[in-house]
Amino acid sequence: MVGVGAGGLASADMVLNIGPQHPATHGVLRLRITLDGERIRRAEPIVGYMHRGAEKLFEVRDYRQIMVLANRHDWLSAFSNEIGVALTVERMLGMDVPERATWTRTLLAELNRVLNHLMFLGSYPLELGAITPIFYSFREREELQAVMEEISGGRMHYMFSRVGGLRDDLPAGWLGRVAASIAAVRRRLPDLESLLVGNEILRARTRGVGVLSPELIEAYGVSGPIARASGVDVDLRRDRPYLAYAELFAPGGPGRVVVRSAGDCLARLEVLLEQVHVSLDLAQACLDRLAALPAGPVNVKLPKVLKVPEGWDYVATENPLGFNGYYLVSRGDKTPWRLKLRSASFNNVAVLGELLPGTLIADMVAILGSMFFVVGDIDK
Amino acid sequence: MARQEKESRGLVPGLLSGMATTARTAFRPTHTRQYPDVAPDLPPRSRGVIALLADNCTSCMLCARECPDWCIYIDSHKETIPPASEGGRPRQQNVLDRFAIDFSLCMYCGICIEVCPFDALFWSPEFEYAETDIRDLLHEKERLGEWMATVPPPAAFEPGALEEVVVDEPATEEDATQPPEATR
Repeated sequence: MVGVGAGGLASADMVLNIGPQHPATHGVLRLRITLDGERIRRAEPIVGYMHRGAEKLFEVRDYRQIMVLANRHDWLSAFSNEIGVALTVERMLGMDVPERATWTRTLLAELNRVLNHLMFLGSYPLELGAITPIFYSFREREELQAVMEEISGGRMHYMFSRVGGLRDDLPAGWLGRVAASIAAVRRRLPDLESLLVGNEILRARTRGVGVLSPELIEAYGVSGPIARASGVDVDLRRDRPYLAYAELFAPGGPGRVVVRSAGDCLARLEVLLEQVHVSLDLAQACLDRLAALPAGPVNVKLPKVLKVPEGWDYVATENPLGFNGYYLVSRGDKTPWRLKLRSASFNNVAVLGELLPGTLIADMVAILGSMFFVVGDIDK
Repeated sequence: MARQEKESRGLVPGLLSGMATTARTAFRPTHTRQYPDVAPDLPPRSRGVIALLADNCTSCMLCARECPDWCIYIDSHKETIPPASEGGRPRQQNVLDRFAIDFSLCMYCGICIEVCPFDALFWSPEFEYAETDIRDLLHEKERLGEWMATVPPPAAFEPGALEEVVVDEPATEEDATQPPEATR
């Protein structure tokens, strides 16, 4: 009598591929997961399916053309990406940017952050099986996208910053319309909020799931809202201020860094939600400042051929998804000799290999979705 | 948390508040617009399609060279213009043979419009030019010229801007084909 229980349940590990074509990966990310029954033994993110050689292309493009490409690696944070390139080049040139441009850039960067977060606040519940929130978040996105389109002409790839400032001045009446949009989004945000953190099912699926420790965050260079959800209190807007953030994050200013300590999926979602509030406050502060600023230019006159002096520099900005750094090496040409891109999503996804083992396959999508990544930002 | 206490009060209050929300929303005007029937309001800066004013083009090739993915094709030849007056010198002029933009490659960055020194290229918010064959997205000179009629006049800036834009009188039927800049 040899039953199944004689030598324990005989089971072989199963290798399961999630992706490259899987709706939960928002694109073409592949996870090779080794399963023991329902439990994940090993997980290996396999990246590169969307590699477009952006860094190599940067080397044969001038600085204005680079923005077209830089725009596109993280397509949900296009403006923040542009700003990173512009700030790097401006610092190497020692160029002073007009105040009006700096405040407008800060305003647009914060609006872009809200747009990005609203996207994830809509898509993350979708992955957990809740369809409704995305309609609410997209209504708010539309509200803000309308003002972004009015100033830049684009809904996603703004192409609005230039080395030395911005492409164009603000259209008449735009500041008022931004204020109205911010007020509308703020008024309706509680609806979305109660659908998310007020939803029992969503809480049950995310609380205590995928807990990320501060040690892992440091080891893998995880940054942004995910790091702050685990209690790692780091935000480049406050810690290494660029644009007008030094003033906004000064004591008494509207800026504050949202930190949670739980480190689970719910904490990550809560950080995102809270950051939307903070970003709307920051955007409102920028609007008030812009209205009070004296008349002035929004860009500086550039030479016909813009050449960056020989040398190197590294500028990192706090993008909606985390640190976004550009390491620029110039040999005095009108194109960079090398422009290395440090994108947030790459590190945020790399940690999955440590985070997933030990969890259940049913929680995999909840954890994956809460890492808030853009595949273009991983593969570049 | 206060919210959780409220939720744990039971099924009936929850149902009632749910129905109240539904009733409130039912009487609010809809947010959605039925697109093909209702056209979207697009701001004048909206980057929909690139229009060409061929008369202003000197075939200098700046746009074609600055385009990040080289989707502008320009052919031209030189023509000699006989001297206008007695004893004058004959002049050479570029004549534009072909100007085409391949919108299947275009990344809509607007660099070509920005670099054009003679104001021959303009953005238009028009976007309804999808094709069933990708080759039809290559717009030749004539098609690009037709978009000129949809180019909005330059809009005013927010007070505080340094440049002042002269806002034209509403365009009449006649000069609708003229570029807004030309009438300044």
